[in-house]
Amino acid sequence: MQTSSSTQTIEENELDPRSKLCIVFALSSVAVFVQKIWLLALILMLGMVLTYLLGENLHLFKRFGRIIWLFVGIAVIQSIFTPEGIPLIAIGKIRLLTVGGLEKGVCFLLRIMAIIVPASIMISTGTREIIQGLVQWKVPYEIAFMVSLAIRFLPLLSEEIKDTFIAIQLRGIELDKIPLGKRLRMYSYLFMPVLSGVILKARELSTAMETRAFRAFPRRTSYRVLKLQNQDYLVMGMSLCFVIVVLTINFYYKGGF
Amino acid sequence: MTYPLETRNLSFCYSQHSRLILDKINLRVELGQVLAIVGLSGSGKSTLCYCLSGIIPLVQQGEMWGQVLIKGSQTREMNLPTIATRVGIVFQNPETQIFFPTVEDELAFGPENLCIPQEEIGQRIEEGLRLVGMEAYRYMSPHHLSGGQKQLIALASVLTLKPEILIFDEAMSQIDKVGKQRIKEVILDLKKAGKSIIMVEHDLKNLDVADRILVLRQGRLEDFVGLF
Repeated sequence: MQTSSSTQTIEENELDPRSKLCIVFALSSVAVFVQKIWLLALILMLGMVLTYLLGENLHLFKRFGRIIWLFVGIAVIQSIFTPEGIPLIAIGKIRLLTVGGLEKGVCFLLRIMAIIVPASIMISTGTREIIQGLVQWKVPYEIAFMVSLAIRFLPLLSEEIKDTFIAIQLRGIELDKIPLGKRLRMYSYLFMPVLSGVILKARELSTAMETRAFRAFPRRTSYRVLKLQNQDYLVMGMSLCFVIVVLTINFYYKGGF
Repeated sequence: MTYPLETRNLSFCYSQHSRLILDKINLRVELGQVLAIVGLSGSGKSTLCYCLSGIIPLVQQGEMWGQVLIKGSQTREMNLPTIATRVGIVFQNPETQIFFPTVEDELAFGPENLCIPQEEIGQRIEEGLRLVGMEAYRYMSPHHLSGGQKQLIALASVLTLKPEILIFDEAMSQIDKVGKQRIKEVILDLKKAGKSIIMVEHDLKNLDVADRILVLRQGRLEDFVGLF
């Protein structure tokens, strides 16, 4: 048999996808519970450092660059509608911006970023490895494949949308030049053909899977097998410790820090 | 005599009140034969492929009468995974037949589903890639390949299940001249290896590898005499 060992097992110095999932889960889940700004900032920084150390270039963060302004906007609105603490900007008796509001807005922004940034860690991990990791964690393979198909489905959806928009522009409609109201109405007309196209493609995809004996048996073998190494146990242990320490700080030192 | 694939009075319509797509089709595919089925768009070629590969009635619903027999066993009494080991189907669109980030993963998918041991999966991957001449692409992403190469990978993925019958549902319609030529060469190699092949086509130029040509017209199969 001539098979490269690197394809069947993760390369020696590389972390197992399960370890990466543990890091992502640890950072994202504590970011949901933590209320303190400095702690959230610390989690975000840790997430950025780990993402960088694991060889990712914060692609996801860059990709979210456009919508990050949406989150900034929400943070500003949240700070305006939270009239707590010392007023910073006020018109008469109406407090537009307060210290408490500003804190809430910053908290929101940091939390969103602390959840998004660690997800970049998974970008370079192949979907097949993620599936295998989940399967070896005893997640039913149908569910693991569902996750993988959902990831596979996103490019299909974006392709379908792009094709539809190109088809419209080829018919001489310049989308940039029509008024917003008309444009929105046109988008509503496009919704059904895009949706039906995507459903058809999804159906073709699932039929192709079924014709290749998917779900033939309650279990399946795997050509690619993942093996946890010492570094993986260390990372998983550290992730667990991190969650415990951060949540302890957050719950027991409510008044301080 | 038992044929690798046979239909007896096969009729099909998508719902009770719609027209018959297939009307009393009697078809026999012999061992090592390349059978081509031609017809206009909407003539029911893909529906026939779905019936022959068990997708109808096991996955897609509709009204089906008559019998589809794979080596004498009726498809409606079998399950799709069992059929998958006997009949392999390559669809028109290579994009919707490829799900994994590497060619190797793609080829491993079928045998993994059949609980084949790891070592044998490796052998089947090698064999599948050798048959389609794509050994050099084993660790590459199939999404970066040309349409013809993707179709060859889809075919290799089907071949890892070791089916005795192969159905090509307009598999050459979305690929370039070079890709078509490569697929035709593979079809001839598979024929030499004793596989029975059904090619469904609307392009007459692709039929030079066929031993026998039938035309599907108004739901009925007839001998092809040069006209749809």
